[in-house]
Amino acid sequence: MSSEQQPGVIVVDRGHPATRDGRGLVRGIGVVLRHLRDAFGPRLERPEQTSGVFTVQYPEERTPLPEASRNLPILLFDDDSGHELCTSCYQCERICPPQVIHITQARDPASGKAVPAIDEFILEYDACMSCGLCAEVCPFDAIKMDHAFELSTATRDPLTVDRVGLARPVSYYAQLAPQAWAEARDGAMKKLQGSRRRRTGTVGMTPARAAPAPADAPAAPIADAAPAGEPAGGEPVPASDAKAARLAAIRARNAAATDAPAPDAAPAPAGEPVGGEPMPAGDAKAARLAAIRARNAARQREGGDA
Amino acid sequence: MVTVIFIAIASLIIASAVLVVISREIVRAALWLIATFFAVGALYLLLEAEFIGVAQVLVYVGAVSILILFAIMLTRQHERHEPAWRAGPWWIALAGVIGLAAVLITTIGAVPWRLTDDDLPVSRAPQLGTALMREYLLPFQLAAIVLLVALIGAVVIAMEERRRRTPTLADDIAAQRGAADRAEDGTP
Amino acid sequence: MNRTIVISQILVIEQAPGWLVAALNHAIIAGVLLIGGAITMMLQVWVERRLIARMQDRLGPNRVGPEGILQSIADGIKMFTKEDIIPRAADRWVHLLAPIVALAPIAMMLAVLPWGRGLVAVDLEVGVLYIAAVSSISGVGLMMAGWGSRNTFALLGAMRSIAQLIAYEIPLIIALLGIVLLTGGMSLARMPELQAGIPLFGSSIPGAPDLGLGWFIFTPVGLLGGIIFFICALAEGERTPFDIPEADSEIVAGYMTEYSGMKFAVFYIAQYLLNFALAVLSAVVFLGGWQGPGVAWLADAGLGAAASLLSLLWLLLKAWGLFMLMVVIRAAVPRLRVDQLMSFAWKYLLPLALVNVASAALWVGLTEWSSIEWGNLLPVDGLAPWQRIGVAALVTAVINLGATRWVLRINRAPAAAPVVVPA
Repeated sequence: MSSEQQPGVIVVDRGHPATRDGRGLVRGIGVVLRHLRDAFGPRLERPEQTSGVFTVQYPEERTPLPEASRNLPILLFDDDSGHELCTSCYQCERICPPQVIHITQARDPASGKAVPAIDEFILEYDACMSCGLCAEVCPFDAIKMDHAFELSTATRDPLTVDRVGLARPVSYYAQLAPQAWAEARDGAMKKLQGSRRRRTGTVGMTPARAAPAPADAPAAPIADAAPAGEPAGGEPVPASDAKAARLAAIRARNAAATDAPAPDAAPAPAGEPVGGEPMPAGDAKAARLAAIRARNAARQREGGDA
Repeated sequence: MVTVIFIAIASLIIASAVLVVISREIVRAALWLIATFFAVGALYLLLEAEFIGVAQVLVYVGAVSILILFAIMLTRQHERHEPAWRAGPWWIALAGVIGLAAVLITTIGAVPWRLTDDDLPVSRAPQLGTALMREYLLPFQLAAIVLLVALIGAVVIAMEERRRRTPTLADDIAAQRGAADRAEDGTP
Repeated sequence: MNRTIVISQILVIEQAPGWLVAALNHAIIAGVLLIGGAITMMLQVWVERRLIARMQDRLGPNRVGPEGILQSIADGIKMFTKEDIIPRAADRWVHLLAPIVALAPIAMMLAVLPWGRGLVAVDLEVGVLYIAAVSSISGVGLMMAGWGSRNTFALLGAMRSIAQLIAYEIPLIIALLGIVLLTGGMSLARMPELQAGIPLFGSSIPGAPDLGLGWFIFTPVGLLGGIIFFICALAEGERTPFDIPEADSEIVAGYMTEYSGMKFAVFYIAQYLLNFALAVLSAVVFLGGWQGPGVAWLADAGLGAAASLLSLLWLLLKAWGLFMLMVVIRAAVPRLRVDQLMSFAWKYLLPLALVNVASAALWVGLTEWSSIEWGNLLPVDGLAPWQRIGVAALVTAVINLGATRWVLRINRAPAAAPVVVPA
């Protein structure tokens, strides 16, 4: 195509006269027939192919996702030992823009000292925006972005995933992102050795391995996409959580009495769970969140440990 | 058997025709008119005049009715349900109808219709075509000229319309090109 | 006619009044045609969607039933269960009857088409005219739809549709007229019978095998007429590139705007059925209809039923082939603007169709008239029939080709010197 300019007028010459007298029509039909012929051949894979069916018949076929694609985080644990890589450093919780990560550091049951492991790790999948900042910032390569996206549920509660639902073996991540894991594995394993030395007993092991599950325990499917997540309401709050929630509530009340009112501590007393009593699902979740927040706020106020 | 069918078709024609006059909405009246044309075509088919019957449908239902509908729809946008004027007292209408009926019936009755029970001479399309080209050539050509006049008249009216429009860019360019051509030719 | 006798023998109703037997026969034939039409329409939708998909580098519906064959049924169920919305200001009866008036004439068209050797429901002597008449009735249905919706844009869309239909009906009928001249009659059932033999020369060469290939499209008159007819059939059926009425980017859905549910489905069915009927008509008039290699051979061997079956197969092959051509054109060609559409009909197709009729008249004169009828100007009596056909083919080919080139040339905008846009 050439164009020449004259004052006020642009003349464009197509270069070939094939658009006259029906010739363009015939050429157009030829193009379409070529696509028709190629449509019965191999699928269009490479960008330089211009014709051929490119449909991916979901759900029987899936487009392979690139390694770095990110959709909702998972927590990794070592295949052999069962130990989670996470040391409860709180970096992901700090950096998470919508603040959907809630971590409770584990304590040595005997001495009460903090150990580099998690007691509880709650991630609200429904509010997570899959930015991947948590995975970027984690110094221990413990939290990574999963590729699974078929996570629809009928209610919102299963979308608040806890430590059990988030746990995936390292082999799973290695198969998702082999190159990324190859680069990170040695450093991550070395740091895991260091963490393990400071953990006692089964603290820091992924719950499925730590306590071989009794038949009626909530199952955490490790292998594939669907997270069972939090069992829906009606399940009694675990005793340790209830106790910790009550403790946190008491501390929050004390803090409220002495200081300016802590914004997050208020709801805790209202939904105070009594251990063993089933509560409606939404309340249980709110209570747990409130308890965690109260604990964290109280800890901050006491100048607590990281 | 034929009588039964004839009565059915005839009553359809009469009913549709009456409804054309009675309908309050003019578009409905036009649609009943189409029904009337269709039924008349059926009557022709009953008379085994296939060509005339099909031509009736083609010309009247396919062309004239659409023209009527176009005319109605393009012009009568504001008055839909109200009649254009109010009718006079009912006995004037009755007198008019009786008078017209009397004239029509006496005139039609006075015509010596050649009613026979013999089979009608079959007039098929080839015979019609031959007749149009031989015995009835002059009326055929005159009809063609009338149609040609109508066609030319339509084109002339459309041309007038076009000149009365505000000139578009295309018109400007065409005018300019005309002026450039005349300048090239060297005409003063 | 043969069919009627056959069926009455099948029914064998003792002492039944003649009219009852005739009525039952007609009912059975009508039922077969209508059910065949419905099944054809479903197949058409499937073929169109899969074929267009492949041409667009995708797959098309392949979930419902094996390879998606039952998709039309799923769509039908969907249309059935949709709410039937009638605008409050709409004229209820007109709105209701419009789809029926649009569909019924097309079903009526199926009765006159010769589906195979000896397989025609009604052998009308004025078949071609009947088809033209009946297809113009469905235009009234469109007007009713546009008006009955009480929607200004539906009305405008309906008027544009009708303008398109009327504009393209004229070259359609005139192209058919050329073939009517060739065959000397308007009966559709006769046309395939006259297209036996070998290409161009038909049955005029003594001793030539009856290959069933003497189709009119191999003659210059039939070629130009066939092309004009096919283009006009695309426009009558409102298919791309003439699908302004149904394109969503134009006036919503034109006259179909206010229709939902089953009424919309009826318009949809009407469009596909009309396209198929026009494809069959093209095949009958220009591509030899049910003629094909083997039909005459089977008939001569006494296997009448097998010959009829084979002839039905040939017709369906041709009709489906033309329909697939329609589908390919739909995938390849962009839509015409409404003024381009009208100018194409009036300035290109109509003059060519008229020239084609003149050529057809010349053909008839050269092949069938005797020298006396020519006023002794041409020594046509001295030539054998096949020679006369050859001469006529030459003359009409020259005329048609010249006319085509002339029409294309005079319609071309002058290769302009650059025009200065007024500031």
